[in-house]
Amino acid sequence: MKFDVKGMLLGKAMLLGAAALLAIATAGSLPAAAAGDPTTLVVGKAGDVDTMDPAVTVTNNSWTVTYPAYERLVKFKVENGKGSTEVEGDVAKSWTVSDDGLQWTFTLNDGHKFADGTPVDAAAVKYSFDRLFKVAKGPSETVGPVTEVQVVDPHTVKFILKEPFGPFLAGLATNGACIVSPAAQQHEKDGDLGQAYLAEHTLGSGPYQVTSWEKDQQVVMEVNPHYAGPAPSFKKVVVKIIKEASARRLQLEKGDIDIAEDLPVDQFDALKKAEGVTVVDEPSFQVTYLYLNNTRKPLDDVRVRQAISYAVDYKGIIDGILLGNGVQMRGPVPEGLWGHDDASFQFTTDAAKAKQLLADAGVKGLKLGYLYSKKDPNWESIGLILQQNLAPLGITVEMQEFAYPTMREKLNSSDFDIAAGNWTPDYGDPYMFMNYWYDSSLHGLPGNRAFYTNAKVDDLIRKAATAANVEERKKIYAEAQKIVIEEAPYVLLFQANYQVAIRSDVKGFIYNPMTLQMFNFETMSRAQ
Amino acid sequence: MSFLNIVRRRLLLLVLVVVGVSIVTFVISHMIPGDPARMMAGDRASNELVAAMRAKLGLDRPLYVQYLSYARDLLSGDLGISIRTQRPVADDIVRFFPATIELALAAMVFAIALGIPLGVISAVAKDRAIDQVTRTLSVTGISTPAFWLGLLLIYLFYGRLEWLPGSGRIDSALTPPPFVTGFYTLDAALAGNGAAFVSAVKHLLLPGITLGFLHLGIVTRQIRSSMLEVLTEDYIRTAKASGLSRRRILFDHALRNALIPSVTMIGLAFGDLLYGAVLTETVYAWPGMGNYVVQSINALDFPAIMGFTVVASTAYVLLNLVVDLTYMFLDPQIRGVG
Repeated sequence: MKFDVKGMLLGKAMLLGAAALLAIATAGSLPAAAAGDPTTLVVGKAGDVDTMDPAVTVTNNSWTVTYPAYERLVKFKVENGKGSTEVEGDVAKSWTVSDDGLQWTFTLNDGHKFADGTPVDAAAVKYSFDRLFKVAKGPSETVGPVTEVQVVDPHTVKFILKEPFGPFLAGLATNGACIVSPAAQQHEKDGDLGQAYLAEHTLGSGPYQVTSWEKDQQVVMEVNPHYAGPAPSFKKVVVKIIKEASARRLQLEKGDIDIAEDLPVDQFDALKKAEGVTVVDEPSFQVTYLYLNNTRKPLDDVRVRQAISYAVDYKGIIDGILLGNGVQMRGPVPEGLWGHDDASFQFTTDAAKAKQLLADAGVKGLKLGYLYSKKDPNWESIGLILQQNLAPLGITVEMQEFAYPTMREKLNSSDFDIAAGNWTPDYGDPYMFMNYWYDSSLHGLPGNRAFYTNAKVDDLIRKAATAANVEERKKIYAEAQKIVIEEAPYVLLFQANYQVAIRSDVKGFIYNPMTLQMFNFETMSRAQ
Repeated sequence: MSFLNIVRRRLLLLVLVVVGVSIVTFVISHMIPGDPARMMAGDRASNELVAAMRAKLGLDRPLYVQYLSYARDLLSGDLGISIRTQRPVADDIVRFFPATIELALAAMVFAIALGIPLGVISAVAKDRAIDQVTRTLSVTGISTPAFWLGLLLIYLFYGRLEWLPGSGRIDSALTPPPFVTGFYTLDAALAGNGAAFVSAVKHLLLPGITLGFLHLGIVTRQIRSSMLEVLTEDYIRTAKASGLSRRRILFDHALRNALIPSVTMIGLAFGDLLYGAVLTETVYAWPGMGNYVVQSINALDFPAIMGFTVVASTAYVLLNLVVDLTYMFLDPQIRGVG
């Protein structure tokens, strides 16, 4: 039997349906996007905030929101329009430290107020730090060995330390050191110290406060009416979560967002040619390096470790993987941070030397595992290059990929030969590299991931941590660096550039390697 | 067996399924090497701090004790607190699940509204040009990766034509409608907020089409083959001989019978849509369960993984029940055998 298609109502119905869809699609023009508005800034991020509680979160995605919502005792200086790793007073006007380095007394500025209008006083500072240590999560470890915080008077607060701690002041500029309004206590539930409330709200004195959070969609921040600094030009900052990198890039190009973070290097490269977009490309303190398991044979032999360091094609990795957006590390302390030594020894690619060292060590037909995960897509490429680089030495590298949580467990339990890793400092102090990476009491994930042990180095870096002044600390760190570079417990690969793409009409972004993904929204504006 | 008995028996089965699924998920997720306390404290937290956090989270207790305490809370409707977000898991699920269901429904509506007529046309015009086009379309639908199609549609409709937005559920300048069902389209309509409704529909179109495209192919093929089968049946010939109009024969007799085998398929496809939404949600930054679960797994957020599994398996079982009941409604013969 045959039916005539033309005669069917269905066809008509379909046409009607299609027309309706099209009508909705084109109904009115697209609502005016928030970006382009002189008082609103829109940021496109790859990941959402997890919790907004500064005493809990350890992720940069959260810090994008918490950093501008809170103030701290000190902040990073801005010198000639450039962010510095040194700090100056913020809520604190001035401070003194006792001769034994155990008592720090801060005098507070007048006029700093929380978004609810209450003043930021000594009691609020004490409350915040007491809370940080009682909550006792990740951030509690970044501010140093504080045993007590005392209110001297409403304008004066004193910190008592267990032992002198060189980076103490630097630690006070980190997220864990945010000053939280004691009003948080009113929101306490089941003794959680307000964690449930602060997970979704901000109670700070920073330039902005969070006014709404549609999970996995956007966080809206509006100006804190009581902010002590100059009134920000952007009254509203919208942080949009756009997971897919190409979608983020497209929205930036269309002007629907003003800032696009976290794109692959080739996308940034393409954006450099795009109209109306500026790509910020600055050296960062994020380093990528390889952990050589110093407790495993034959990697416990310094010659074998040096041989590997000589075999790696540093330039090939930087050009091939980063498209040239980075530099080879020279010593563990990155360029730009005090304590970095421009004159220190740097391994070059030298196959002959590598061969000789390996022969001296009597190592032949070696098989090594390379532990990595997809957490950083570069790790796999690095492993493949390493495989090529080590093959002529007779070293077979076996690629061992695991999910990141598993990789982490293996790292912590010393269950690997070679592993890939990244490191960014919490504060601008060589302590973050020298003490974390080489102190034998920090074996495993906490920092010394090569399981390196050297009593002399332990001695030096511990002395450097507690020494009184910067000059002395510099000297001791320089001495320790000589040893650890020579002993090559890690392969020091590269210091990558930080890249972010911003609409060209947005002015005033100040790059600071200490505050990656944390923006100075309050001093940014849109050119008219 | 009566309707009521079937429903009763199936609900009992539901409880067993949920208990089974929760035990299996609990054991598997806790056996994966990895430490949520470490995840939360940060990679470089000291081992002492991590141990203290493990104790606080109760992760240092024997596995069966952890499960029993979880099951006890579950019975009282408490899904626990997410390790990653610090929010009650139930709140997160209430927040994210409707977004996925709304997306899956949109995809389903697209697939059915287009798939049934296309299938019928294809069957009726078997081997003619329009049938060839439809068949090509359905094969394309089945074999196109959602990820690729999504990017293509974004590029075309957002990047080039500027007809539709490229991500999210609603324009960022608009306030989402007050929460009633969690479906932005429905909530906006209920609130009488025209601007939010239009924006929500626009945001739903591309992800809905992307996710629905795969199932459009499946529905079209299914309907086409059932129709072809039905159209050769004797009763159709009888109907034609008795002088019924083409339209009545097609819709009242052929299509209704052809739909029966399709109902099961469509019901199961809806379950697939819920699970299959992950890629689509990523491409369109759609804040649904797919996203939430992937992040929870990456963070080893046990309470969140468990919460999702329990809710999703419950939904799946209920969905199957609904499918079977619909089946009975469409074909009274089955009622007797059930």
